[in-house]
Amino acid sequence: MTAVSRPARTRRLRVPGILIALVLAAVLPPTLGAAVLSDSNALLASAACAFAIAAISLNMLMGYAGQISLGQFAFVGVGAFTTGIVTSPEQLRLPWLAGLAASVVVGGLIAFLVGLPALRLRGLYLAVVTVSVAYVGWLSLFRVEAIGGGSAGKVTPNPYIGDEPITSDTGFLAIAAVLLILVWQVDVNLTRSRLGRAFQAVKADEQVAASFGIDVTRYKLLAFTISGAVAGIAGSIIGTAYGTVTASTFDYARSLLLVVIVVIGGLGSRWGVVSAAIFATLLPNTLVWIFGPGIRGLDLVINAALLMYTLAQHPGGFAGAIEHFVEKRRQRKGGAAPLPPTRPNLPALTRPVGMPAIPKTRAGTAVLTATGVSVRFGGLQAVDSASLRVDRGTIVGLMGPNGAGKTTMFNAITGALTPDTGRIELLGVDVSALPTHRRTALGMSRTFQLIGLAKGQSVYENLLIAQHLAAPYGVLSALTTIGPSRFYERDVRARADEVIDGLGFGRYRDTQVARLSHGQQRIVEIGCALVTSPELVMLDEPSAGMSPAAAEDLAATLRDMRDVLGRTILLIEHNVPLVLDVSDELYVMDAGRVIANGEPVEVVTRPEVVTAYLGVAPSREEARV
Amino acid sequence: MGQVLVLGLISGGIYALFALGVVMVHRGTGVLTFANGEVGTAGLFLAALLVDGWTIPVPFIDNPTLPALPWALGALAAVAFAALLGCLFEVLVVRRMGVSDPVAVAVATVGLALFLLASELQIFGESPKELAAPVTGGPTIFGVIVTPTQIAGLLLAIALGFGLQAVLRRTDFGLGILAAAQDPAAVRLVGVPLSRISLTIWGAGAALAAIAALLVEPTVGILYPGYASELYVVGLAAAVIGGLNSLPGAVVGGCVLGIAQSAATRYLSDLHLPGLHFVVVLVVLLVVMLGRQLLPELIKRMDTAPSRAAEVSA
Repeated sequence: MTAVSRPARTRRLRVPGILIALVLAAVLPPTLGAAVLSDSNALLASAACAFAIAAISLNMLMGYAGQISLGQFAFVGVGAFTTGIVTSPEQLRLPWLAGLAASVVVGGLIAFLVGLPALRLRGLYLAVVTVSVAYVGWLSLFRVEAIGGGSAGKVTPNPYIGDEPITSDTGFLAIAAVLLILVWQVDVNLTRSRLGRAFQAVKADEQVAASFGIDVTRYKLLAFTISGAVAGIAGSIIGTAYGTVTASTFDYARSLLLVVIVVIGGLGSRWGVVSAAIFATLLPNTLVWIFGPGIRGLDLVINAALLMYTLAQHPGGFAGAIEHFVEKRRQRKGGAAPLPPTRPNLPALTRPVGMPAIPKTRAGTAVLTATGVSVRFGGLQAVDSASLRVDRGTIVGLMGPNGAGKTTMFNAITGALTPDTGRIELLGVDVSALPTHRRTALGMSRTFQLIGLAKGQSVYENLLIAQHLAAPYGVLSALTTIGPSRFYERDVRARADEVIDGLGFGRYRDTQVARLSHGQQRIVEIGCALVTSPELVMLDEPSAGMSPAAAEDLAATLRDMRDVLGRTILLIEHNVPLVLDVSDELYVMDAGRVIANGEPVEVVTRPEVVTAYLGVAPSREEARV
Repeated sequence: MGQVLVLGLISGGIYALFALGVVMVHRGTGVLTFANGEVGTAGLFLAALLVDGWTIPVPFIDNPTLPALPWALGALAAVAFAALLGCLFEVLVVRRMGVSDPVAVAVATVGLALFLLASELQIFGESPKELAAPVTGGPTIFGVIVTPTQIAGLLLAIALGFGLQAVLRRTDFGLGILAAAQDPAAVRLVGVPLSRISLTIWGAGAALAAIAALLVEPTVGILYPGYASELYVVGLAAAVIGGLNSLPGAVVGGCVLGIAQSAATRYLSDLHLPGLHFVVVLVVLLVVMLGRQLLPELIKRMDTAPSRAAEVSA
């Protein structure tokens, strides 16, 4: 119960918190500013705010979604010059806020267009494209007279609030600080929404993310677009704060420095990257102040060396090192939590309102039919025209020796790979041409041989990630927490807690999955596979690595899934007693072919099955020799 | 037309050399390195220092003028220094990261690039330095004077593209490199010296970048911090165009980009677009990536179309 009410309590506290921060940021610099801050220091503080925003934007991409950009300062530059063009008296002559808005839109748009071809490919292609983007911005685009103002640079006029121009650096610092707080809040909203969770899942494992119904390409592209838009805000601030900027303000080295900052601060940690950005902005002047002007320029050397040291010694960065320290202290105080039961109590859940309903069919009708599926890897025929059928409310086992093609068959059914031939039907719908995430939406879920969870996230967060499709609200609602996101978040959070209570994982709710034992991770994974009440649950060797006692509990859990929850199960298993114990029907594969199917106990005694497992019995002549 | 081709192949050879380094490191370790351009620049600076006998400010020593060495010795020192940098990076950073993911190592190379760039700026300043070409003159092809270093660049790229491919496929060490990237644990178990392979790759990749930088520098005759990184960017793109794992592909990718650039310089000069070279790289890169996604789908559609028709008629 306490767990359920927790999010509500933090929300009530959060709103005044950000309001107070906004008011302070808007009022303090202009009133106290001149007394405390010199104009040059105020300018430096504005630059620090902009750098912090740029760091947040890169952290969204690298820290959350796991994509590298080496051209982030090109997007910052796009923001700066867009604001310049929109507000310049010689060009568009629009108010400053319009310039800011245009910077967000143009930054996001360019990121989208550049990311579109690169992000559909797997691997570090985006990184290579962003290097080119950095150079195109720095040496080409920003040097075009109409965009960058030529060698004199682009002049951005002072912004107006009402009719009053903001001429002082302290006055503009208020605007920069307010924007930093707003971006901070957007980033907080992002991480607490389905959007941020989808990014985390994509970073952890693209195949697992797809099995939770996440459209991997779409979310990578979204991360890049949002990141480009936020970088545009940073640029808008830099352009206005300095008044005049040239192409070399946004050179390649700046983009590299931003990567360095985000990694030193701690990828994925908001306060880590923001403090690192502020540190890096203040470092040059501080060094000069301490060691004299001869030291100028050395800050970059120091930062770069720090990055390599950080990656070699503390991969989590500064924030990671501190979290590690705090965690250790807490463990020493707290002692170990009691172990959760290995036989969980599965809660009966209804299909989430956000997901398409599953058509009601009678028991005995086919949930899944795979017909003539063939998969070829180079010279190896991994699956050879295999067919199988899974009826509603049954447990169907799929066994076979190592390399028989079971997992390949699984991947063909879920859409993780496209078979060369064959047809897959789910609940009467031909899904052969659909990608994995669309099949998940139609009522399919799966587990993986090597645990398909985002292992860096907590149990609770994983159960939220698994409900990606159950909270179908849009990007704007996610970033602002206005609109449908509140309703859907309440729904999925309540369901996540219900599952955690049912599994008996209450004390492990906020524990990182990687810290759980293998068997515990398996139970969490099964919980994730069940949380959206899919019709078909596909389990890939769930008992692998389990003790015999735990495997017996697993058999009971599988029976509960069928009898109590009414799920249909397709089960790959090596543990023959377990398969025989729970299956209603058994398929046996060998060398890519289905060699037998039928009633489990009868099937395993067939000679072809025995041969597949034990090899050919020697003939009499051979035996005599 | 012929001129465009000659100019394109001249710069294409250099891009190909950089791209070969990218592909080699990627095949051997799974890592995309962003540092080798700056490693090449660092080598160039050393060569310039030795060949021209610059004076650099060293504390406590008055007028530390170095004796001027012949170009070949300077070049040798540059390649050795670059290889040393690559090996040091492997020992001090990559090795300490343990079995971490290639993405993290790629980020570490960003640190190395910035470290070298900032150090060069700190020591030598922003203004360009000169390094005289070792030899001048050369044959004229389609109205273009092609210098010996330019010819050497292209020939070396082609020779290495196919030679290294043969080394990788035919020798035990080469096969070890290929296997190491796929499954380091298994490779170590069968007794392949993994640390030596990794060291060799990082060292060789860096040396290759220095060679490329040395061969391209005489064309203009100046160098400055970030000089070879500007060319390395194109090398990265060339490697991607060539498929990121193919050494001959990298050579082809480099030549394609070189020719595209010289064609753009020739025919699009009326645009007066600054930095046209980089725009060409980005455009070709994006087009190739789009093509790589669309082509398989097109081929598949053409393949399945007749069989679908047959199905319907049956």
